[in-house]
Order: sequence, then C-alpha cells, then structure tokens
Amino acid sequence: MNNSRFARTAGWLAVPCLIAAGLLAWYVTREPVSPFESRQVAVADIDPALVARGEYVAPLSDCVACHSVPGGAPFAGGLEMATPLGAIHATNVTPDRETGIGNYSLAQFDRAVRHGVAPGGRRLYPAMPYPSYAKLSDDDVRALYAFFMKGVAPVKQANIPSDIPWPLNMRWPVALWNGVFTDSAPYVEKAGQDPLWNRGAYIVQGAGHCGSCHSPRGLAFNEKALDESGTPFLAGALLDGWYAPSLRNDHNTGLGRWTEPEIVQFLKTGRNQHAVVFGSMTEAFNNSTQFMNDEDLAAIARYLKSLPGDHQRDGTPWQYQSVAATKPNTPGAHTYETRCASCHGLDGKGQPEWMPPLAGATSALASENASAINITLNGSQRVVAAGVPDAYRMPAFREQLSDQQIAEVLTYVRSTWGNRSEAVDAKAVSKLREHTDPASSSPIILQMR
Amino acid sequence: MELRINQKTYQVDADADTPLLWVIRDDLGMTGTKYGCGLAQCGACSVLVDGNVVRSCVTPVAGVVGREVTTIEAIETDDVGKRVVATWVEHQVAQCGYCQSGQVMAATALLKNNPKPSNEQIEAAMVNLCRCGTYNAIQAAVHDLAGLSATKGEA
Ligand code: FES
Ligand code: FES
Repeated sequence: MNNSRFARTAGWLAVPCLIAAGLLAWYVTREPVSPFESRQVAVADIDPALVARGEYVAPLSDCVACHSVPGGAPFAGGLEMATPLGAIHATNVTPDRETGIGNYSLAQFDRAVRHGVAPGGRRLYPAMPYPSYAKLSDDDVRALYAFFMKGVAPVKQANIPSDIPWPLNMRWPVALWNGVFTDSAPYVEKAGQDPLWNRGAYIVQGAGHCGSCHSPRGLAFNEKALDESGTPFLAGALLDGWYAPSLRNDHNTGLGRWTEPEIVQFLKTGRNQHAVVFGSMTEAFNNSTQFMNDEDLAAIARYLKSLPGDHQRDGTPWQYQSVAATKPNTPGAHTYETRCASCHGLDGKGQPEWMPPLAGATSALASENASAINITLNGSQRVVAAGVPDAYRMPAFREQLSDQQIAEVLTYVRSTWGNRSEAVDAKAVSKLREHTDPASSSPIILQMR
Repeated sequence: MELRINQKTYQVDADADTPLLWVIRDDLGMTGTKYGCGLAQCGACSVLVDGNVVRSCVTPVAGVVGREVTTIEAIETDDVGKRVVATWVEHQVAQCGYCQSGQVMAATALLKNNPKPSNEQIEAAMVNLCRCGTYNAIQAAVHDLAGLSATKGEA
C-alpha cells in the first residue's frame, strides 16, 4: 500500500523531472539560430572584396593574438591559457579541412564566433571572447568568414586537448553560464549618439573586446558589464599579472587627462606624451590597434571619452610637484637615480613620447601595483610599429635588483612628483617574481585577453 | 636637424627617435663614445648635455636639438674635464679602456656640479659598469680630484 503510493508519487514526480531534464539537455546542446542558416555560400564564390574586408576585421578583432603561438603559423592555434579548472589551448582556425575550420559553413562559423557554439552544439570556453563578438554585425561576420576561408593558408596542425579532468571538462554547463552572462544580439546603434560614437561603441564592445582585459570580472569570471550602461565597464582589472587600467575618464587612473587625438596616437603608434604600451597591451598594439584606420581610431577615442570617471575610486586629482631641492636620501631614491633616471628623468617626466613619464603615470597612481612590479622585474616586450621595432625598451631588472630594492624604488616612484599611492611591499614583489618566472612551479599563464 | 656637438654645428639627417649614440658614432664618425648595452644600464655611452651626464643610447636625438653636447673627443677643452683626464692618467685607471670614456664623462659631470663631493655623493654618481673591474682605481682618482684623503684600495 505504502509502497504503491510511493511508486505512484515517484511516477508523478518523474514526469516533470524527465521533462526538465529533456529541456535542459535540449537547451545546453542546442545550436542557436544563425541568420545565415539558409544562406550558405560556396567558398569558391566568395567575393575578393569581402576577403579584403575580412582581412581588416580580423586584426580589428585581434584573432591572431590567441590563435597563434610565437614563431608558429598564423591562426594555427596552440596558445596555452589558464582557466580556473586547468589549461586549455586556442584552436586551429585555418581553413584546413581536417584540423582546422575548413568544413565550417557560414552559419557554423557564425555560431562559434558570436555564440561560442561549435558544430554539434559543443560549447566553447569563454576564453574565446564571444560575449564581446556577439556584438559583431552580420556583415562583419560574413567578411571574417570570407577571410578565414580564402585569405588564410590552411595549416595541418592538430588541436591540443585541454588538461581539464572529467567531470569538470564537460562543456554543457557553459551554456547555462552563457544564458546568465551573455547577451547575444548584435550591436544596435544608440539613438541620440552620433555615428562616430556608435562606431566607437561597436568596436570597443565588440570586435576590439577591450573589456576582456579592462573590465573587472565577477565571481563566475564574467565581465561585470558589457557596455556603458554599467559603471564597472572598462573600469580597470587585474589579469595575468598586469593591471589593465581604467579606460574611463578617471583623472588619475584612467584616460581623464588624455585628449581624443592622444588616444588615437597611442593606438596608432603605441605611444604618446602620457604613456607607451607595455604588458599585454603591447600585443594588442603589435597585432591589432595599429592596423585600425584613422576613422575607427577616432571613433574609439570619441566613445571612450564619453565614459564618465569615478572620483571616489580615483582619489584626489594628481598634479605635478617638483622634487624638493634637498632630495630625499633614501635607498629608493638612490636606486631611482642610478637605474631609472637616465630614461625617465630625475624629474620623473620621461622623454615624451619615447620614454614614458612616471610622474602621473597610471601604473604609479593605481592602487593595484602589479603592472609597476611586473615591468620592473621583466621589462617590456618589443613594440613593433609599422614593421619597425622601437629603439627604446624597458630592460628587465629581475637579475639586478632584489625584491627589497624593487619595492623601495617603486615606493619612491609612487610617492614622488605628486604621485600619492601606497608603498610597495617586498612580499608583493617576490610573489610576482615567482609567478612570472617561467621555470617556477606556478607560472602565470595567460587567462583571457 | 641641426646639432651642437663639441662647439661645432652639424647638420644631420636622422629620424627624431634615433638614439643620439648612433648619430654620434655612425653618422658623425666620433667613435670615442662607446656602445655597451643600449639599455641605459652600463654608462659606456655617456656624454654631457648642457653639462649634465646623459646616456646617449637612450636619448632620442630630437631631444638635444638646441642644446650643447660634449663627447670624450672634446672633454679636455673643459677645465674640469682636463683635470679629470690628467688624474686618470696619473692613476693609470684604464685597463681595456672600453668603459673609460663614459667613466670620465660621469666624473666630469659630477665635479662640474659639485667640486667637493662627499664619499656618498661620489658613490651615488659613479655607477657606470666596468668589465675589467677598475672600480678601485676610479674611486681613488675621483677622491683625489675631490680633495678627499686617499682611501685604502677597497671598494
Ligand atoms: S650603452 Fe648606453 S648605457 Fe650602456
Ligand atoms: S676598463 Fe675595461 S671595461 Fe672598464
């Protein structure tokens, strides 16, 4: 009796459970609709003009930075990236039919780029910035497809499987993450904003995926805001041992003191009177921003300058102060004079726009000190503008200065010339020294860009 | 662009960001100034700009237009420079000599700005590298020039 009632109840419960499971299974493996479903193009028929357009959209989206390894064939994949669960590797996106994406239809390509869904419904990890690429227009997706199919040489190179263990390597939960954290419609022009602003918003939020590094992330590793409607958007974030600063109008730690033409100059030449690209931005410059046309750069500048800063977060506006005639006689000041001043100047003003000033530098004013420590330890990568490597490069002081000396000199830099930020602790230096040593047991590998 | 080097005027055709060192050595053929590291680390490339020592490998040439550059070739036209060179000879400072034009520049700049530097000030200013390890001889020569009593030959 009791048993049969139990069986009946269980039976009744099983029905909704099965329906729910069925729905879930459908949801997490479903292939989202693509506007290109019925519009498959034969690769042979692709218009060369569209390939050329795609050849511009690809660097706009900086595909090559992740889908290649240094010295490897372009777009053949292989770059290792860390996730909280284990390492994954960027895939081969050359049109090779066996190991690359040569068999993708336009709709399948679209689903991968804008929705993070591979053929068959398998979910990509959001290290692929599809939450940003979702904003791409249909035209740009068509152009990208044309470029990858006809403008890129096929390379036979098998993808490297992730080393995430079962069951964590199941991909379907990503579909739920997507449901909560992504917004899958292409960019819609905002009424009341001029075309330049709208173009800037389109690039910054979409192809440029600036927020992948510059927006803070939440507990689920989601970007806290994907457009200007949220104040965390581009407000600065710590990633891969670098602090990607605010791109909002913060006077000290953002772009508050930069004019629109200065932003354009920075993205086009890698430098301006305020700063020179370094850290992960060197790659974004070397592979992407310098190839953008002037109009797009102007659009980016217009859009970024429209994002308000936050006085609370940013603190008292920085103003230059000269060093007192009686110079401080601290070990930090001494290290600065002997190691840093030749380039950055005793007055901290650098030699704009070749050697950046440290007076008023974002990395010296931000409370996050990772960038300052990292570049002092490891130096900067070569900035290659228009095919020419630059003449001046920050050397690595890893072998020359101790953790204590680096902490002292950075404390000096962060408290001189009007800079007012917290002292640097030697422990923070030794931690980053360990994490950025390729031979260490816990090196930083790239997370997301 | 027009440069003033060793009291002479030169017309040079170089990109604005070319390091001054390349212009001095390659374009103008004055090879007394040496290339060591190219990264502001060693001081071999030191020259004077308006009497202050700068590392010419990290000085974009455009930055010295309108200023007076002095290289090792003309250091003895300066009274202090002349004394420094004489003292260097007296102490037989040089070994291979590669770093020494930079060392002489650093010492001259120090003594021009401060004729009686203290030991600490000397240590703070004389930071160029010397692969031959002539540091003791350099220290003795500069102490001599600064009128400090001779030190034991220890760095
Ligand atoms: S060559 Fe200029 S400091 Fe070494
Ligand atoms: S004398 Fe040889 S490097 Fe100094």
